[in-house]
Amino acid sequence: MDVTRREFLKTSAAAATATAAGITIPVTALAKSKEAEAGVQWDKGVCRFCGTGCGIMVGTKEGRIVATKGDPDAPVNKGLNCIKGYFNGKIIYGKDRLTQPLMRMTDGQFDKQGKFQAVSWERAFDEMEKQFKKTYKDMGPHGVAVFGSGQYTIPEGYVMAKLMKAGFRSNNIDPNARHCMASAVVGFIQTFGIDEPAGNYDDIEHTDTVVTWGANMAECHPILWARVSDRRLSNENVKLVNLTTISNQTSDIADTEIVFKPGTDLAIQNYLLREIIKRDAVNHGFVKKHCVFATGPYDIGYGMRATSKYAFDAEKDIQAKELKITLDKDEAIAQRRKAGEVVEQKNTKKPVKHWMIGFDDFKKGVEPYTLDFVAQLSKGDPDEDLESFKAKLKGLADLYVDQGRKVTSFWTMGFNQHYRGSWVNEQIYAIHLLLGKQCMPGNGAFSLTGQPSACGTAREVGTFAHRLPADLVVFNPKHRAFSENIWKVPAKTLNPKVGSHITKIMRDLEDGSVKWAWVQVNNPFQATANANHWIKAARKTDNFLVVSDPYPTVSAKVADLILPTAMIFEKWGLYGNAERRTQAWREQVAPPGEAMGDVWQGLEFAKRFKLKEVWGEQAVPGLAADGFENGKLPSVLAEAEKMGYSPEDTLYDVLFANKDNRKVKWPDNSVSKGHANHIAEKLGDGWFPEKALFDEYRQFGVGHAHDLAKFDVYYRDDVRGLKWPVVDGKETQWRFNEKYDSYCKKGSGFDFYGKALKALPGGDLDKVTNKEKTSLAGKAKIFFRPYAAPPEQPDENYDLWFSTGRVLEHWHTGTMTRRVPELHRAVPTAQLFMNPSDAEARGVKRNDVVWIESRRGKVKAVVETQGRNRPPKGYTFAAFFDEGVFVNKVCLDVTCPMSKEEDFKKTAIKVYKA
Amino acid sequence: MNISGILVIVSPQRVESMVDQLNGMDGIDVHHIEAATGRIVITQEAESINDEVNGLKRIRALPGIILAEMSYHNFEEDNELLDAIPAELADEDLDTVKVPGFLNE
Repeated sequence: MDVTRREFLKTSAAAATATAAGITIPVTALAKSKEAEAGVQWDKGVCRFCGTGCGIMVGTKEGRIVATKGDPDAPVNKGLNCIKGYFNGKIIYGKDRLTQPLMRMTDGQFDKQGKFQAVSWERAFDEMEKQFKKTYKDMGPHGVAVFGSGQYTIPEGYVMAKLMKAGFRSNNIDPNARHCMASAVVGFIQTFGIDEPAGNYDDIEHTDTVVTWGANMAECHPILWARVSDRRLSNENVKLVNLTTISNQTSDIADTEIVFKPGTDLAIQNYLLREIIKRDAVNHGFVKKHCVFATGPYDIGYGMRATSKYAFDAEKDIQAKELKITLDKDEAIAQRRKAGEVVEQKNTKKPVKHWMIGFDDFKKGVEPYTLDFVAQLSKGDPDEDLESFKAKLKGLADLYVDQGRKVTSFWTMGFNQHYRGSWVNEQIYAIHLLLGKQCMPGNGAFSLTGQPSACGTAREVGTFAHRLPADLVVFNPKHRAFSENIWKVPAKTLNPKVGSHITKIMRDLEDGSVKWAWVQVNNPFQATANANHWIKAARKTDNFLVVSDPYPTVSAKVADLILPTAMIFEKWGLYGNAERRTQAWREQVAPPGEAMGDVWQGLEFAKRFKLKEVWGEQAVPGLAADGFENGKLPSVLAEAEKMGYSPEDTLYDVLFANKDNRKVKWPDNSVSKGHANHIAEKLGDGWFPEKALFDEYRQFGVGHAHDLAKFDVYYRDDVRGLKWPVVDGKETQWRFNEKYDSYCKKGSGFDFYGKALKALPGGDLDKVTNKEKTSLAGKAKIFFRPYAAPPEQPDENYDLWFSTGRVLEHWHTGTMTRRVPELHRAVPTAQLFMNPSDAEARGVKRNDVVWIESRRGKVKAVVETQGRNRPPKGYTFAAFFDEGVFVNKVCLDVTCPMSKEEDFKKTAIKVYKA
Repeated sequence: MNISGILVIVSPQRVESMVDQLNGMDGIDVHHIEAATGRIVITQEAESINDEVNGLKRIRALPGIILAEMSYHNFEEDNELLDAIPAELADEDLDTVKVPGFLNE
């Protein structure tokens, strides 16, 4: 690079940074920077990675992305970028981008045991269709499945959810977001009756206290952490507390670090609840007017298979706990039972059921959680003095109860990926509600998300096995009817039986209850715990696995057919971030080779199905809903004909390119501003699928507290995303607070208007005593949930705790970030972080290669004893981005029984020199 | 070659001394200063992202820093770094219209 060019680039970088920070710079500097950027076209975009949703500006030149910069107008990141965000433009230029469909073949025929060979799209779809129709005919709608994603754009998720649910009449579509925030969703629905946070990121600048629970924000949400740091360092009154199981970078600027034992966050929460009552800090006015108390059964299992038939011998002892457990001494105290008592897990089928209790019952529930009991149970660092740990817990309670102090609690995977993930989510709201510190600027419990559209697509569009758009669910007949009406499909087209969640789809592939699956925008064969089982299942001879991906991932390697896929700025899209903000971008560059967007792949596949092939009578084993004959979905073909459809019409004609949608024309210069749309152009039938489908989708939420603006609004130059509900063109800052949320009843002050699960029977701590249901309209629930012990804990054989998670430089399974040379160089491999004394005790030192072994498998990794994560004695950590250190072969596939989200944080392992 | 724009915020009293310190650091140029709000815009030039991150850490470790965060990155003309990608992805024969060798291993 010559000196002049370098100076130009520096001037340009400085000018962009100054502009982002709102610093006025000399006109000459500005002019110079413009010169440096000559020929670069800038357009707004959204970061591809975490759930923060930073705005970035994407610079293209001659059909290539050449630069990205933080978007100074984006309220989320105000011009800043983290290191990953920084390289958004580079992830699409990996050397091994897939540009043609690849299929396993021998002698020109598909062969499960064959080698991958390049084929045409036509040939790829032919085989996909043939294999699908065979399984669909033999097994019905439940024999096929889609692994969806929290990284789907909104139109992508919508196409696949509609194709599966209304087209194939199957609810077997579930996103990787299940592994990421399903427990948060259960917490929201159970507590508020509606999904997603009340607050927004501005809480950071409004609050006096930030408490992070199982959230290493410094590495996983760096831009929000920059905002927190800024707030902390510019105001001496602001306090930060980091609750974690290992000392990490978030602790570096925290005032207090509380290192606790895995699973005991539940006990600490109950200590805080007890303390709020003891110190008379309950906001009685708020609680009385806006809350009720509730609880549910404890014997709900751990989300494992109920049978040991498929378990490896070594994992059978843990699997047996799905049926019954023996209470340890702490659980016994926490649950008011006797130590050694054997508890059969009787409520594994209905873990979500709950009932109302009185405040006195609630008090009785939290009474055992004294400081002495909780401190000895939850202290995570054996080298820490018990009194010092007690002082920290007490100090945490001091901050929460302080009347003059606003508190914002943040959490991510430490809560969500938890064998009782839904409970810990409910409990954090319990703390904030009891104090009346919720839904106000700076006051509230705020669930952070890990994927760019876990909220916007997976949750809001409803690409889950039980969901429909806008918080509707498949098992509610009114919700199905509402959806059938918007989708213009016959009554009873939709299947009322909840489909398989993502871990269950894996189990289904293993036990033969699913035989055709399509993986989209995720890498589940690397990202799902207990991976040895699933890799074997993928290769079972009668399973057919399709993987759409830009790169040859672990999932692609175990597939039968790989479809080359367009990436973020190669297509039009919208994402929704963790603060309910919906953001949009245009196609910036063309996808390479024959790679195509997921929307096109879904639509093209839909063309291959006629109504008569899917809307006839279908067997659905186990289906037993009102209005349905047991085990059967009725034929809706006659009804379809009455609606004007022909049995020969394709799903593409009926569900997607129908009369109304075809009115939404491509090209559309007012919104495209000269940008291309490879999908509309390839379809070539004159409609604009992303726009037509988004505007169709938004009908679900308008008037139902999920209002989105119209497609075109998000593309306006003056819009940097809008936080829903968007009512009369105005976004909503704090929900459920009358001052900010137009959905609240006038004069209510606060109105928890969410409609789900808002009529409950009554009872005491142990059982329902009055079956008659009472309406809780407008109220939130404060749950009592006891401490329960983790099903797998270190023992003599597997003597260390193991947790997985992220590092700053890489994202998820590393399929994008590992292809950015700078990021790969920065962190080339996942290390096993361990305490130096644990390493020494095993005769290993820093940089030695060791085996990490659990009941499920083993992997090799390099030991790190001094890095950014500093585990206490007995704890270890390794990130999951590295396919060379395939940690999910080791991890336990226990899930929260309510949310079905896996617990990636609590596996027992042993470590020895390789 | 990585060139990044970095925003540094310090308390307004410290702006002058901070500018001196920053100017004394390798690869750092101070471009714009807004003394009243303690905002300083610098660029950093570094060989690799490791150096870039370490450079940022160096800045953050200076006394009185409230915030130091990257804002802009230019990644033209550094294709030579492609050699650094994971071995299994760096297959020499890799031609994007063919099947990556390791898929058929």
